Amino acid sequence: MKCLLIASESAEMLFYWTDLEFQQNIQKQYGASQEEGHEFPAFEDSISTLFAPIIISFSTMVTEADSYTSFTTENNHIYVLHQFDECLYIAVNGDGEEKEEDLRRKIYVMNKMIEVLFGMVTLSGNLLRKELRARDTEQRLRLWKHLQSLLETYSHLRENDQSFLVEAVERLIHPTLCEQCIEFLERRLVQQINSSVERGGEEVLHAFILVHTKLLAFYSSRNASILSTSDLLALIIMAQNMYPSNVDVDDPSPEVQSGDSLSNSTDKDIDSTSGSGHESFYTPEPSPTDKDSSSSGGLLSRAFMAEDSLSTLEVYPPDPATPHKVFLEVSQKDGLYPMMPHSMYCLKLWPGITLVLLTKFPHSGVAMSVYTFWEAFAKLEKRLNEGQGGSTRGQPMHEVRSKLDKFLKTLALNGIQVCFCVLLCFCVEWLYSSTLPQHSLILWCKNMKTQLCGIYRQCFLSDSGPDDTPRHLSPGLRERAQTMVQEQLMDWKDFLLVKSKRNITMVSYPLSDFPGLVHFICVDRSSGQMIAPSLSITERTTSELGKGPVAQYIKNKMWSLVSTTRHYLQKGYSTLTLRDGDFYFCYFLWFENETGFKLEAKDIPIMPDDSAPIGMLAQNYYRKLLRYYSKNHPGETVKCYELLTVHLGVIPTEIILQHCRQLASKLWEPSRNPLL
Amino acid sequence: PCELAVLSHDFHCVCNYFFLYDGSKVRGEADPTRDGICYFYPEETPLDKQELLCGQLAGVGRCVSELSSSPARTFRLRRNKFAIRMKDDFFWALGCSVDVPTVSVSEFLDQLIDLFCFYNGPVRQSYQLNSQETLAAQWARYLSHLQSGSSELSHIFSCLKTIDSTNVDPLLLLKAALILQACQRCPLVLAGCILFRGRVVSTQMSPGLTMKVMIHESETYTKAQRPNGTSASSSFSGTVSSTTVFLTAPELQDLQSAPVDKGFRCCPTTPQRDGPSKKTRLSRTLSDTPSPESQVSNPSLSKPPQKASLSPRLSDSDVFSPASSHSAANSLNPSPQSLRFLSNGENTVEDEAEESRSRDSTGGRSQIRSEGDGSVFEEDSHLNGGEVEGAFGGVFEFQAVESGNEQPHDDKVVEEDSRVSRGSVSGHKAGKSDPPALLPPPHRLSDASEENALIPMTLYMHRVKGLVLALLVEPHFMSDAASMEEVYHSSLASLNGLEAHLRTISPGAPGGPGPYTFAHFDCIQSTLTTNLSGRSGGAWDQPFVRATSLLHSHFCNTETLQEAIIRSACTAVYGTRSVAQETYFQQNGGSLRNSGIPNHQDSAFSLPSKARHRLLKHGVNLL
Repeated sequence: MKCLLIASESAEMLFYWTDLEFQQNIQKQYGASQEEGHEFPAFEDSISTLFAPIIISFSTMVTEADSYTSFTTENNHIYVLHQFDECLYIAVNGDGEEKEEDLRRKIYVMNKMIEVLFGMVTLSGNLLRKELRARDTEQRLRLWKHLQSLLETYSHLRENDQSFLVEAVERLIHPTLCEQCIEFLERRLVQQINSSVERGGEEVLHAFILVHTKLLAFYSSRNASILSTSDLLALIIMAQNMYPSNVDVDDPSPEVQSGDSLSNSTDKDIDSTSGSGHESFYTPEPSPTDKDSSSSGGLLSRAFMAEDSLSTLEVYPPDPATPHKVFLEVSQKDGLYPMMPHSMYCLKLWPGITLVLLTKFPHSGVAMSVYTFWEAFAKLEKRLNEGQGGSTRGQPMHEVRSKLDKFLKTLALNGIQVCFCVLLCFCVEWLYSSTLPQHSLILWCKNMKTQLCGIYRQCFLSDSGPDDTPRHLSPGLRERAQTMVQEQLMDWKDFLLVKSKRNITMVSYPLSDFPGLVHFICVDRSSGQMIAPSLSITERTTSELGKGPVAQYIKNKMWSLVSTTRHYLQKGYSTLTLRDGDFYFCYFLWFENETGFKLEAKDIPIMPDDSAPIGMLAQNYYRKLLRYYSKNHPGETVKCYELLTVHLGVIPTEIILQHCRQLASKLWEPSRNPLL
Repeated sequence: PCELAVLSHDFHCVCNYFFLYDGSKVRGEADPTRDGICYFYPEETPLDKQELLCGQLAGVGRCVSELSSSPARTFRLRRNKFAIRMKDDFFWALGCSVDVPTVSVSEFLDQLIDLFCFYNGPVRQSYQLNSQETLAAQWARYLSHLQSGSSELSHIFSCLKTIDSTNVDPLLLLKAALILQACQRCPLVLAGCILFRGRVVSTQMSPGLTMKVMIHESETYTKAQRPNGTSASSSFSGTVSSTTVFLTAPELQDLQSAPVDKGFRCCPTTPQRDGPSKKTRLSRTLSDTPSPESQVSNPSLSKPPQKASLSPRLSDSDVFSPASSHSAANSLNPSPQSLRFLSNGENTVEDEAEESRSRDSTGGRSQIRSEGDGSVFEEDSHLNGGEVEGAFGGVFEFQAVESGNEQPHDDKVVEEDSRVSRGSVSGHKAGKSDPPALLPPPHRLSDASEENALIPMTLYMHRVKGLVLALLVEPHFMSDAASMEEVYHSSLASLNGLEAHLRTISPGAPGGPGPYTFAHFDCIQSTLTTNLSGRSGGAWDQPFVRATSLLHSHFCNTETLQEAIIRSACTAVYGTRSVAQETYFQQNGGSLRNSGIPNHQDSAFSLPSKARHRLLKHGVNLL
């Protein structure tokens, strides 16, 4: 019984997602309060009516400077509430499968996905509200369905994929192949695309190949900024959402067979029919008219019943080949720009293997200007709010003005929205000279910020671009890129699919070295990457842990251990050992400098229970932690590592700790693992 | 078996808000929220703010409980953490700082409500009978009691305050236990506890019940001997007081099955026991004619013969001797009253020779209450499952007692009888003592079952300076002069002696911060042993308390978790638990310079062995 909804302050439903059970519960509740004989109300109406008192009470309490963060009931239902700007997120669980932290994380991840999809528009509650609740029903339902499907994809990954459990990227461990691929991406693919006339003014910044959720190769062009782990994880969710790899059904063995028999064939249609288990997620070569049933997600269709307006209206997902606008963080010499526009091309090579290209638009520099300008207003507003008006007003105003000048030049260059900008300019001019009281100035700042978000929306979100030039890589170019990579990887594809399931195995950690070691996860938080033996628990595949209940048990323990360690980390504890049932769990977090020298532990900030979840996907905790720690080590590159282990409880503690030490030093040894 | 940290901060405020809101008073749109506010703490909160909090929380509580089809349990806000209880139309909320573990806040609220019900009975009913102001004073009193004089640790564990056993001669504790057992020889006495200056010396009751009783004690203690409002027995010069209290059915059942009083309790009452068991069937059929077969059915119990071979006096001193040998109470001799008391009630039933008489006497009674007896019975056999026999005995005992009360009698033979049986049968009379006797008359029971079965009883208190003997007794105990005198006089001298001894014990000087800090919580007795001294406020205390609170929550939420070591840069704490206890240990001093990387030479990982070693001398065995 699960639900997540977003509501405006006026209790308007901006988005909701429920599972079937929750939906039935709501209908039962609502039905009970309705007169008999009445028709079933639209589900959206029921849910918003039932939640309205909570939403309104939340706003009331906010005005009293306190606000709800969670509720629990005697039958262990959990409600978690969090407000981002003017949007209130409520997540509910009634089946015991998620804990409070999980729900909070889900809320933050949902918010992250919305940021990736809407960029700076999320900075204006009003604009975001219009975006999420489009007046056109069909458009709204299409968007909601997309978001619902993203949320389900994320939940599925979080529950089943170790890299989404710890929120770090997992790489396929195959140094030679990886190197080849990177070289190929750099020398041939990206170069070719970026020099093509068909690229429509776009420029490929990043290219990477995913095998299921694991990263095979990642290439960034020289003038691109680093892609943050948070964004990369979000993009993997989007790619998975488009081409779900159904691990429960999937099995590498038929894949191998079909690969063998058709290894010379490049005909994807034949390929698609050969593997018996793959129809459910296989998408034929994308074409504009193709209605890809898989990308809307099988889970979703199950979750919604016929009377639901969402499913009665058939919503076609957009063509997967059309690029997605995504808004990602860009770090430049002069600072950090969150939510800068990019296009994301997700090209399916084979089921389970995807090529992702990230490009920037020709005029994306405007976004930076809009952002700096917005930031300047935000700063000014903050200072005014802090009551430092009057004397200090001049300085930030100057700042704003000089930025505005620069901004206007850029805009004029592009010939867009000139009228609007003139108006803006006029306003700032007037602000500068005015002797308005403080609160009106604050209002002005707010207004300006909204206007800027409006410009941003106009430029980067609306379908009509700033000019009429084609803004995408042409379909032909995309197809060529796809074919190129397919040819390159043809001989490897089956190997890759198997490898992704058995990336590293416990077998490679011989029993003689680590007797009693059951499982481990090691994470490099500085690079956002993790290593762990695969933990496959599907019926048909057998991991070293066996299959069925034992593997499932270990998996559940691992999942709960991660949530426990986060809880202690939040409270400032960086080392943890637990004897739980027949197992012994260890968790260590430590810092090293670049040469591998272990740095002394330092007290970690203690945070309240309702603070942002610890992880890297939404609100990168580890980045803040590293920044905090680095203060004492100026000029040094600080790295942060985490190690989790599960041992049999009968092993003496000293031995367990020795194992942990060996793992910690071995795993990241360059000789052993050149990629990491 | 315990000591306490406390002493230092005498008022450690954990509760930011507490209120009781009656939703039934605010039904219509026009009804102002303030009508529903039964009590709000802090009382000086502006009414607007009170209305806001009550209205919002109660409103959201209703909404959430409708959505989830279950009452709300906790609300967390950014600055406060509320434990919530919803029952009937009542809505309770207790708001604490967010640092307090959720389990502890919930427990706090449960205790508070339980305390109120213990002294006032069902909430709805008490609000019908009493003015809001009177009850507000009650809430305030319970609230301040629960918050007062305790350390952060005791809030985490909600433990009983006990005297420092390390400073007390164990024989004194034994003596206290014996006093209680002696009191229990009066069948009207259910269980008792002895308190000294707000701390438990010995108790026969469950920790929860002891905690409830203690508030009354501390109240009267601070009032310093002022005659108690509820009722003071004039004949005992104001040192004895009593008040009506309400037990829940499980509490009652607990007392019934409490192993504490088995051995001794049985002594005086065994003869009755036999009687009752013989008559169980009678009771079941609502007739009191003793049936021969019931006698047969219980050959073992009926063995105490009528022939008395021991003098009552001898057995009496037997009971008291261990204690008295160490105390001023040496002089105590069983008074005539006590003897009479012992005979009181028992004789009528017990004696086979007297059987016909007892039949008569109880017969009359049971006719009157026959219906009630039936219901009592049914419930009883329910509660006790297989052990019907004992339970029946209990019921019977009750009747017997009542009849005894009605008919004063001094049957020497019977008296002797009971003595004998005390000596001989005590061993096999485990299991059920006479708790069923506690079951109220039928009309009360039916009342109670509507309000979650709160059963009225009486709390008897006998104060000797700082020492208090608190007994849970049958309501009619107070009107039974003979029983009262018996209990009073049988314990008076022992209490005096005990008090004299306890008074001379100086509280152990709180040592400075030692090389380690520990806390040992006995989950069964709800007692806490710790060397954490709030007074010293050592630099190591705060980290220890924080870690303990986290680990305690973790232990509560994860059944399979046995032990844990957690470490931050400056401190490492080891926690271990079993079904019976939780122990926390921290090594103080010496910087834990480490990089956080796994290292088996790390001092943090030697904590378990150190704890095992060091805590032995505190009587904590972790092996």
